Amino acid sequence: MLKTLRTVVLAGLVSLSPLAAGAASTKKLNVVASFSIIADFARHVGGDRIDLRSLVGANGDPHVYEPRPADVRTIAAADIVLVNGLRFEGFLRRLIEASGTKAPVVELTKGVRPLKSTEQAHDRERSGHHHHHGDYDPHAWQAVPNARIYVKNIVDAFCSIDPPGCTTYETNAKAYDATLSVLDDEIRTTIARIPPHKRVVITAHDAFGYFAHEYGLTFLAPEGLSTDAEAPASDIASLIRQIKRDKVAAVFGENITDPRLVQRIAAETGSKIGGELYSDALSRPDGPAATYVDMMKHNASTIRKAIAPDVP
Amino acid sequence: MTRVQTGTIGVLLTTLALNCAALAGEKTAWRLFVSDHSEPIVNVIDLLKQEKIETFATKAPARLYRSKTGRTVLAVQRGADLVTAIDSGISFEDHGDHGDIKVKAPRLLGVEIAGKQPSHVVEYGGEIAIFFDGEGRARIASERMILESKSVLRETAPGMPHHGVAVANDRYTLISEPNVKNSDALPIGIKIVDKSGAQIGGVHSCPDLHGEATSGNILVFSCATGLLVASMDGSTPQVKRLPYAAALPSGKTTTMLGGRGLQYFLGNYGSDKVVLMEPTEAEPFRLVTLPMRRVDFAVDPVRAKFAYIFTEDGRLHRLDVVAGKLDGSLRVTGPYSMDDHWNDPRPRLAVAADKIAVTDPARGVVALVDATSLTKAGEISLGGRPFNIVAVGGSGQTHDD
Repeated sequence: MLKTLRTVVLAGLVSLSPLAAGAASTKKLNVVASFSIIADFARHVGGDRIDLRSLVGANGDPHVYEPRPADVRTIAAADIVLVNGLRFEGFLRRLIEASGTKAPVVELTKGVRPLKSTEQAHDRERSGHHHHHGDYDPHAWQAVPNARIYVKNIVDAFCSIDPPGCTTYETNAKAYDATLSVLDDEIRTTIARIPPHKRVVITAHDAFGYFAHEYGLTFLAPEGLSTDAEAPASDIASLIRQIKRDKVAAVFGENITDPRLVQRIAAETGSKIGGELYSDALSRPDGPAATYVDMMKHNASTIRKAIAPDVP
Repeated sequence: MTRVQTGTIGVLLTTLALNCAALAGEKTAWRLFVSDHSEPIVNVIDLLKQEKIETFATKAPARLYRSKTGRTVLAVQRGADLVTAIDSGISFEDHGDHGDIKVKAPRLLGVEIAGKQPSHVVEYGGEIAIFFDGEGRARIASERMILESKSVLRETAPGMPHHGVAVANDRYTLISEPNVKNSDALPIGIKIVDKSGAQIGGVHSCPDLHGEATSGNILVFSCATGLLVASMDGSTPQVKRLPYAAALPSGKTTTMLGGRGLQYFLGNYGSDKVVLMEPTEAEPFRLVTLPMRRVDFAVDPVRAKFAYIFTEDGRLHRLDVVAGKLDGSLRVTGPYSMDDHWNDPRPRLAVAADKIAVTDPARGVVALVDATSLTKAGEISLGGRPFNIVAVGGSGQTHDD
């Protein structure tokens, strides 16, 4: 995150200015989340004490999101802005600058132990976009223990800016954290049932590093960490050779990526498409990943069913 | 290809990055490419030195387009049935945590794309579609190939001559459908063809089609009745109609620009109004009335919330696109009436770094305005009648190789 942003350091180096006494009791906290997964965390913590807006909505790809003037107005009216950090939101700096907001911008990955980015340096002069995240993989929410850190950071931020609501936020977060703890156990149990030699997953973009690290899988991806870079043919060819060599059974699409790449890999290797995973965005309310908990359950279950269908 | 495995630490990469950073320096370069209204030349100005560094001869007076990367400037010479490619000399490489800048002398690339009456040039996703009115067809190139001194990737089938437009990606081309009853009339819609030339679906109605722009992943065409909003991200292009709001007065947009950094569109609406368009919003149109008739406008790619409008009284106005209001103005030139011929020499705008460059054909100069303070920041004398203008440049790191 560039230094021009007034990012809040939750370790206490910078304190948030509480809302005026009484304001919190008459006015809901105006919370802006950068994308749908963070919005879901905020909704569980804030409950009915907050008005919540997500800049990037369901099935939206934050990598290629183009902020609009209306988003500038939304940020300008915010009491607090919740973002991932780790250079995930490439659109954020110009949005904050354009808004002139005085609202604190809180990076929820504060306290997360980041993984090094595995993104490869491709052709440097391709036409079109190539979005880089930098040295660290920003997709930290893909491991539930990190999600619990996100939630704790949200509680701290809400309590700092709205002290009268702190008890409510802490109570909400405690209940949600218990749910996340159960979810974490469920995913570990699900993945543990898959024979280790089968735990190879192919996805459209490299968003599952934390999932792999936490739950013991290997992910292959042709695109690097971001969805707005087209995979070079040489990388795809290399991936296809590896899939054939390792006898990988399934490849997976994602809700935010163009399915053609995965379809091409599946067609050229004889692999089956195991389903659609949710990486950087929730589904619409009527979809299989309408909440973070649903998303993580869906991803684990989809992977297991595709690569180890005989395992209960 | 990447492989994620537990415990992998990029020590080598980190060490390399630190070493590279230690050798890196910052460099800024900006150039203005300015064509003359009457003479077949394109002047190149070093903006930081505020001096002319090169003059390229063309075959006819040119309208200028710059590619999104800024590597290439196209000189469209309708009078010579020719489009000439110029290497701007400034290029950037994205290295993730920083960008490198390379600055070389501008040069003619030796690429000339010939065809009858070239008109609109639209770049989308790395493909540059040039429409040739006299042939009713588009020729499509890629910047990468142009920079390798190769020209046309492919062309659409010839059609009825008309003043049209095309937009292409690697699979499809959206191309204007002429008015078969009157070739002098504006097109009646847009059709989609694949690379084999086969039409996909029917014609998307867009009466009096004139004006197109892209902003982010949205492409917009302006019609007499509203907009056609297209997305080419999916497996096939999606096109939707967006009628003008009932609250708008009678009028239409015929020239549009796409926002950079913020996703919006700015179009004229009659002679003395502009309209801000956000196709995904519940209220997509916001009208802004100008004090005088519009001469030209430009969006600010750096300070994303601003655009600039030049009016016939010689004033430059700053438009806050978030608030939808003019928030300042400055007299830059003498008056330029919009009466008489549409193509008379009148000022054109380009935004370069912290400056707005305004061509002043009557005085043979390019006037500079400070974008932050909206005050005069000097002028560069070119002689002749400076007309079309594009700006290329930015800042980046340089490395001792």
